[in-house]
Amino acid sequence: MDLTFSPEEEAFRREARAWLEANKPAADERGEEPRQRAEFDRRWQRAMFDAGWAGINWPTEYGGRGASLMEQVIWYEEFARAKAPEPTTLFVGLKHGGPTLMACGSDEQKSFHLPKILSGEVVWCQGFSEPGAGSDLAGLQTRAVIDGDDLVVSGQKIWTSFGDIAQYQELLVRTDPEAPRHKGISWVICPMDAKGMEIRPIRTMAGHEEFCEVFYDEVRIPRANVVGAINDGWKVAMSTLSFERGTAFLSEQVRLAQLVDALVELARETPLESSPQRQVALEDEHIARRLAQCTAEVEALRAMTYRSVSRTARTGMPSAEGSLIRLFFSELQQRVCRLAMDILGSRILRWDVPRGEWDWVFHYLLVFSSTIAAGTKEIQRNIIGERILGLPR
Amino acid sequence: MDLMQSQEQDAIQETVRSFLGKQLSLEKTRRWAEGDAAEGLDDVWREAGSLGFFALALEETAGGSGFSLTEEMILFNELGRSLAPGPWLGSVLAARVLGGAERAAVVDGSLPCALVTIRDADRFEVEGGRVRAQLSQVADAASARALLVYDAADWYLVRRDASWEIASQRSLDPTRVLSSLTCDSECAVVARGESARSLALTATILSCAEAVGGIERTVEMSVEYGKVREQFGQPIGSFQAVKHRCADMAVRAEVARSATIYATIALRDGVANAAHHVAVAKLLCADAYLQNGADNIQNHGGMGFTWECDAHLYMKRAHGFDHAFGPRATQLEALVAELRA
Repeated sequence: MDLTFSPEEEAFRREARAWLEANKPAADERGEEPRQRAEFDRRWQRAMFDAGWAGINWPTEYGGRGASLMEQVIWYEEFARAKAPEPTTLFVGLKHGGPTLMACGSDEQKSFHLPKILSGEVVWCQGFSEPGAGSDLAGLQTRAVIDGDDLVVSGQKIWTSFGDIAQYQELLVRTDPEAPRHKGISWVICPMDAKGMEIRPIRTMAGHEEFCEVFYDEVRIPRANVVGAINDGWKVAMSTLSFERGTAFLSEQVRLAQLVDALVELARETPLESSPQRQVALEDEHIARRLAQCTAEVEALRAMTYRSVSRTARTGMPSAEGSLIRLFFSELQQRVCRLAMDILGSRILRWDVPRGEWDWVFHYLLVFSSTIAAGTKEIQRNIIGERILGLPR
Repeated sequence: MDLMQSQEQDAIQETVRSFLGKQLSLEKTRRWAEGDAAEGLDDVWREAGSLGFFALALEETAGGSGFSLTEEMILFNELGRSLAPGPWLGSVLAARVLGGAERAAVVDGSLPCALVTIRDADRFEVEGGRVRAQLSQVADAASARALLVYDAADWYLVRRDASWEIASQRSLDPTRVLSSLTCDSECAVVARGESARSLALTATILSCAEAVGGIERTVEMSVEYGKVREQFGQPIGSFQAVKHRCADMAVRAEVARSATIYATIALRDGVANAAHHVAVAKLLCADAYLQNGADNIQNHGGMGFTWECDAHLYMKRAHGFDHAFGPRATQLEALVAELRA
């Protein structure tokens, strides 16, 4: 048992740190508008690509860095520590679509799409959830009928982040309505400029427009865009899960630690409304103890993540314990942001001031999604109960 | 970087578990709890000594196995899991600070040392190499041949003599026999200053390790019961109300386990802020043990409320653990002080 990194790993850390310091763009140049953000992310991804840092966990045969597990840990830690902006508009392509093609795509699909994804040339979005298929994804109803060399798709998808700026979509459609739920689904690459598609942004409770709903009215997609076999899409969708070996989570965890540090600073300088003498929040016993609890839990999160990575290093398999970490992380993130609201007091009610000063409010609203997106906390608890603990379904 | 056990550490775990299964099973502990806990412990202690359990972290030249705090953590995980009675922590710590024949006696199991931390109501007056003490809530006094005493500043060793008067007290936790103890005995300082603080951190983190074993056992018990107990024609573990509570228990166990491993390694390696990591582990282990202890009772329904079911024993241990080396509030205050500094 050991907390230290080898001299080679430390050298890798210095190299990563120096490159990030010299090359990271400032996050505030990113802007708000999705197209502007995508443009920013593309330039940043291209810079990483040109310097050989893109796709830290992608195999070298697909142009990635092919870094070892410990190097990935270090890269993600350094990336967050440098406060380098996450190219979030490219997330689906880099973390999901790309890895799925690597696992299940044809040679043509791989050689056409992977270089574009890795270099930041294209934005991908996801078309999995539907109005009637959220936690119960296998209940999806969007139909695709095979007609000659095409699939003809009709239906609706929802919660499609960046659907309005993406060029491609990883789309799950039902190709065999007679088959058992998991057996009649196909995984298709859908070009977002295909005829018959309508994309409408959805405004979130945080007031921003990032997701869309997508309508398909007899959209023709070449059959050659099916990844894996027809009706084998559920397995294709699941194949990606083993690609993410828990390391990418390190960035989020370092960012949460930074958020807690910022919260301590906020508490140090913000007079507390409920205090008769208007002492700063950090002097208030109740607030200070909640802060201390958060710092302790953030540290435990790092230890949990290291343990999960250690387990993966032993087995070569992603550890099921990832869902424990995810659940703990998402709820902790919400506690941290809620505490920020209690420190700030009634000034949070006014939201027409510049974002920079008040992004605690935005963040607080945003993290309501962290126990919903990509598997609600209820689904996470089912996964823990059934897959880790072995309780009956 | 590696926070998993090695094969060698797995083997240590296996050895301890099989020893405890044979010698200190929970059934046996329960029988002792009904009568005199001292009875029979001598033999168990000798065997534990012969297996090297009190000297895992000592150098081989000092009669030890040449392992470290991480292997002791594994020993205490197992002790906590099986709710093993006896003065384990005092003996392991005494083996660290004593020398010569006394150390050899602790190591071979002939000098069990009960750990005492001085409470507000206790008297512990040291003068000229002797102590006049009036102590309450001393665990394992009857089976001890010496006391290892921490008064929040220094550590002392008090050898048993004819002056000891021990009277058993009714204990919240039946697996941890408590007594009052008065004595007028020889007393030696065995650690002070930096080494005293370091020994207190070691004691704290090994308590955490013991708690982690208990915390993990509460998850196992709830899961085992959830699979077999049926209501409304199905196992109760299939109901989300139960399943999700078990999931939360598993999360807390992983939090406690990870924080404890991290702090143990930090302390072993002399990392600068090891004391901070120990406080984090102590806080989160207390949170986890107290809540998992309660949830485990709830998951067992009416059975969970009975004396016969083991669930209450873990709950009671959780309270004992919380009060060892500073309860939750004390740990939180220490962390608050760091934030304000």
